[in-house]
Amino acid sequence: MSATNSFCKMILLLTAAIAGLIIATGSAAQGIAKGISPPPLAPLGPPPIPADNPQSPAKIEWGRYLFFDPRLGGDASTGCSTCHEPDQGWSWAEDISRGYPGTVHWRGSQTIINSAYYSKLFWAGSSTSLEAQARAASKGGVAGNGETDIMEARLALIPEYVALNRTIFGTEWPLLRDAYRAIAAFERTLVQRDTPLDRYLLGDRTALSAEQLRGKQLFEGKAGCIQCHNGPLASDENFYNIGVPGVKRWERDGLAQITFRFELYAKGVSETLYRTLKDDPGAYFRSRNRWDMGKFRTPSLRYTLYTAPYMHSGQFDTLEEVVDFYNAGGVAADGRTTAFPETKSPLIRPLGLTELEREDLVAFIEAFSGEEILIEKPELPPYAPLFTRAQLQAAQEAK
Amino acid sequence: MGVRITNRHHFLAVIMGTWLAFSAQATSVPDLGPLPPLQYNKTKAELGKRLFFDKRLSGNAGIACATCHDPTQGWTQNQPLSDGYPGNGHFRNAPTLINVAYKKVWNHDGRIGTSLDDMVREMITEDYIMNMDMRIMQERLKQDPRYLQMFRDAGYGEPSNGKVRQAIPEYLKSLTSRNAPFDAGTMSAAAKKGLQLFKGKAGCIQCHNGSLASDGRAHNTGVPENFDIFLNPENHQAFIAFALFQGIENQMNLKRDPGYYNVTMKQADMGKFITPSLRELKYTAPYMHNGMLATLEEVVAFYNAGGGKDRRKSPLLKPLGLSDDEQRDLVAFLLALSGDPLTTAEHVWQEPYPAEYATIEDWKHVRN
Ligand code: HEC
Ligand code: HEC
Ligand code: HEC
Ligand code: HEC
Repeated sequence: MSATNSFCKMILLLTAAIAGLIIATGSAAQGIAKGISPPPLAPLGPPPIPADNPQSPAKIEWGRYLFFDPRLGGDASTGCSTCHEPDQGWSWAEDISRGYPGTVHWRGSQTIINSAYYSKLFWAGSSTSLEAQARAASKGGVAGNGETDIMEARLALIPEYVALNRTIFGTEWPLLRDAYRAIAAFERTLVQRDTPLDRYLLGDRTALSAEQLRGKQLFEGKAGCIQCHNGPLASDENFYNIGVPGVKRWERDGLAQITFRFELYAKGVSETLYRTLKDDPGAYFRSRNRWDMGKFRTPSLRYTLYTAPYMHSGQFDTLEEVVDFYNAGGVAADGRTTAFPETKSPLIRPLGLTELEREDLVAFIEAFSGEEILIEKPELPPYAPLFTRAQLQAAQEAK
Repeated sequence: MGVRITNRHHFLAVIMGTWLAFSAQATSVPDLGPLPPLQYNKTKAELGKRLFFDKRLSGNAGIACATCHDPTQGWTQNQPLSDGYPGNGHFRNAPTLINVAYKKVWNHDGRIGTSLDDMVREMITEDYIMNMDMRIMQERLKQDPRYLQMFRDAGYGEPSNGKVRQAIPEYLKSLTSRNAPFDAGTMSAAAKKGLQLFKGKAGCIQCHNGSLASDGRAHNTGVPENFDIFLNPENHQAFIAFALFQGIENQMNLKRDPGYYNVTMKQADMGKFITPSLRELKYTAPYMHNGMLATLEEVVAFYNAGGGKDRRKSPLLKPLGLSDDEQRDLVAFLLALSGDPLTTAEHVWQEPYPAEYATIEDWKHVRN
């Protein structure tokens, strides 16, 4: 077979694949239009555990320490829990997350609870595993701002970690790669499967109030939320622009303006876009397709009772505001909306919900959350020197 | 402004320097002498000065170049081991930056031999020094109207990483010795006797020669290790991070600073360090790559004893048999190589920096 021949074959295959894709998307949209039902809400099962990172008590234990340890960040001040505070819904209760010292983030912090179920992490779904996500978080300039060398050096100087790592991963000195695995294992324990909704779906008819039951009907019917917030996680993990306005702070906060430009620059958009964008292009960063501008991954609605404010830009303080936003067809109360109206989902349109219906819907969203998950922060083991003075003296003598 | 040409000059100078050093070994060494004046662009240097003292050039905006290269402490820190980036310590003594623009290789182990541009990048980005993502730095600078103006005035256009790495070296060229008694011809009688010893009986000139009093080469003098590097985990983590980054094997077991070995990876170079300049010592105690010698008297006593203990020690070092008087004279001469402290507004940025970043008004409608 000649090279040209196989090249032609490849083109053919590609064309077929693209055509298939168009048909698939087309039919999905049609399905919804025709009223073919999306996957129903369902009780949450156990989280998937990747074959190459099985859970073990020691691994989870180390991951719990590491999650709360600020030494896993540039200046040893900013660890995972710094921005994912258990008593702030394992997220950060501001529109945009606090950043590494000297910076502010540019998106809202997300809850860790149930993050184990996603196959695409971050608001724009840019990471595909918790392991990879942890790496991105600890290194990102406005997040952990840590470098591998110094973080690995620190791990080696914490005897408890050296010992834990040795029993779990078998290497003499901890590798950062394995530390991320341990963090992911710990995160896979942070799940909530006993919400009122789960209990209801498992057969406890008393688990939802009358109000919530009416809200459920709206969710699955008139309000159309189920089109995207479906399945056990209440997320289809697809990307949509639902009209969320950008971060208001960008207009009046110099520090936030710096991060906005940095993100555009670091994620590598064209010079023209770098100069002209005034909102977060979301999924566009990965796909480079203009029709992905302003699209974000459908988040789960689980645990949202504790994770205000809402949306990637944290522009809504309450679930009521969120429902009002949807009711207005994806426009905030002050009239603000996405800077990319051309990519906005046709599924988002004014809903005409009455005040009572809006209350019912909010009551139902609250059924996606159980008890608040709070744990005691572990006491972190200290550094200790690797050598004794006598050993150093001996080495000096031997020079 | 003629940056290319300057670079080419540097390149030639490196080659020349190496060649000179070789021939010096074979025949005689270059004499001590005055430093040739350095040309630099004042507007660019002024920008470099503001950058040098600006904490916003570090990752967490907590430290500036001047934190470790402090003008009131001889452009170093008067402590054995330099501070590190917050969260860690360091494992070496910060060198003074006076006359640094005359050098051809930088750092105690000489691992940078290209340009001050590269040296500055290392300082800004290294995780245990300033830990700065330069892309964030660039956007910070663009948020400061004063910088926008200064970069324009310097002919640099918009603030950028590359231009920062040009402006700071331009400023470093302004940090040069002035009015040292040795240069001004005002040495005391003791210092003059010391100079004779330096060139003769004490043999210092073998390595400390030329106008910087440095041959720019690596030697093993047997300076003892500073155990604080290894007993203090804050310092040790910086050392391990350095060794990991440099690819030095057996990092976790190393109990000594490998020095020039890091550059050649040859055992013979273990424990060698680049001969430092002897100018401005009056302000820069303590001494040696790890600050193990507190005073110049101690340094001279160290050499008088034939240096430290190391089986790879330079054969040029032998017990000198200097009398107490001779040792005092030698110290007097070393001090005569120090000039005025560079601590006025001419070299030090004295205006405050804004406490907060300015807001870009009408943000939605102006270009980023
Ligand atoms: C400086 C604040 C900050 C720190 C530190 C931080 N995060 Fe985050 N985290 C965020 C923000 C903000 C987001 C959303 C970012 C985005 O989408 O671009 C996020 C997103 C996440 C997500 C995605 C959840 C989802 O629903 O997709 C996970 C998981 C996560 N972080 C875990 C971690 C771990 C593990 C660490 C420590 C290694 C960490 N984070 C450190 C702020 C932080
Ligand atoms: C077209 C798909 C789609 C539909 C329909 C939809 N959502 Fe969403 N939802 C999303 C996406 C995407 C986001 C995240 C958007 C962003 O951050 O820009 C989101 C975010 C949310 C959030 C915030 C979650 C958080 O963690 O911040 C809530 C609450 C919510 N939706 C509830 C609803 C309700 C109630 C409805 C029905 C009225 C609904 N959604 C309909 C896609 C949809
Ligand atoms: C945290 C302390 C610290 C900070 C901040 C710092 N330095 Fe340094 N600097 C050092 C130390 C320590 C060395 C020696 C490193 C070595 O030998 O490995 C050094 C070496 C140098 C050298 C080489 C000197 C020589 O004689 O070889 C130059 C030039 C320099 N620094 C410039 C700067 C500039 C410019 C900045 C700011 C951008 C800066 N430094 C910030 C500690 C610091
Ligand atoms: C074999 C070459 C050699 C000879 C000969 C030599 N030195 Fe040095 N000198 C060095 C090197 C290399 C260092 C740096 C060692 C280190 O940092 O561990 C140094 C360091 C110094 C320092 C410390 C400078 C500082 O900034 O920390 C002083 C002072 C000094 N020498 C003075 C002298 C005097 C005085 C003599 C003569 C008695 C002399 N040296 C002879 C190579 C030499």
